[in-house]
Amino acid sequence: MPELPQKKVGIIACSGEELPEGTVTRLAALKVLEKLRPSDTVTICLPLFLAGGEGDRAFAKFYPTIAVDGCDKRCAYRATEKYSNKPAAGIVIKDLIEKHHIQKPQGTRRLDAAGQEAVAAAAEEIATKVDELLGKAWSRRQGTFAETSQSDQPQEEVEATCSCGSGIPIQKVQVNGQELSLVALPLIFQNLFQLGKTLGNETGHEIMEMVKIYNSIDSSVEADVESAVFEAYTDYYRQQEVKA
Amino acid sequence: MSEPLKKVVIVPCSGIGKSYGTVSRVAAYKVTEEDSPDKTQLLPLALLVMGDEDSQKILATNQAITIDGCKLACATKMVQENGGDVARSFAVLDVFRRYRDFKPQGIGELNEGGEKLAEALAKEINAVVEELSAPKEGATHA
Repeated sequence: MPELPQKKVGIIACSGEELPEGTVTRLAALKVLEKLRPSDTVTICLPLFLAGGEGDRAFAKFYPTIAVDGCDKRCAYRATEKYSNKPAAGIVIKDLIEKHHIQKPQGTRRLDAAGQEAVAAAAEEIATKVDELLGKAWSRRQGTFAETSQSDQPQEEVEATCSCGSGIPIQKVQVNGQELSLVALPLIFQNLFQLGKTLGNETGHEIMEMVKIYNSIDSSVEADVESAVFEAYTDYYRQQEVKA
Repeated sequence: MSEPLKKVVIVPCSGIGKSYGTVSRVAAYKVTEEDSPDKTQLLPLALLVMGDEDSQKILATNQAITIDGCKLACATKMVQENGGDVARSFAVLDVFRRYRDFKPQGIGELNEGGEKLAEALAKEINAVVEELSAPKEGATHA
């Protein structure tokens, strides 16, 4: 059965290669992705918002995103906002090192001690924001989330992988004569069909609830969107029945 | 008559999720910081994504070498998108095919194979930098 990705937080680092602070963003993001919150985070390379496809540009619509920038130009934040969606949070390393009274990092390829300190501080701040965005409270003493049973297991370290080219599936529907792109809609349809959800009002509400997890829907058009996605599901359902 | 010496712009992949991205970056650092600092200049991809004007000016007057970590070729696409002249594009995967003993692993820190692959790639880039930096004879009139 196709699985809808669980709600995760997207980390987008500027990775600015010419500045030590850029290296800090990359290493801090990696630390969160691999060690601190591997089960709760995903990443994508910033240039893919331009160089990739529509699925790549849907990244920040699908995931609440934390942009991590090295300098005041805030390329990661601005590019994410411009090409995908407004980030849920932003961190600027230059501000962070001031806040933590860390010396200016040196070295691009290999960071000095101040740079390593900045990486640790930035990673902690990113992880805290991840928890806030997921609505979880992290117990530092126990090294676990304090809330749900699913998260009560310590997270295993992994090697970070990017979502580059994986493309989040989207589907367009017509709402009041306008085209609306909905992230993950094909997966939602597949999932519900395989769960045996037949055509009925109850299914329409269920689809809409899932759509709202991954898409920001203006409440003023919610009923229209629900009607459009139910119509799309009806088409999908009938096509699947013919195939079966 | 010789043309004025220009710097070759090196644009590596900014990949964060694959070892090949790190290899591209390490090779770029070797070239721009260690081997040919006087002839080259590193240009970060993030600035090109935002269409940074200063970066576009640099690309408008200098040739670029791009280093891509995966088939999506973001570095090459971004330079072209920003009006740059890609004199040569390297794909780390192709370089790895020529040096199969150097299998890269790790992202934050490369293994020995990755470091060697980056070194081999840097040598190839340096050779292109030398070609591009060599003074060219200007057109002469009889």
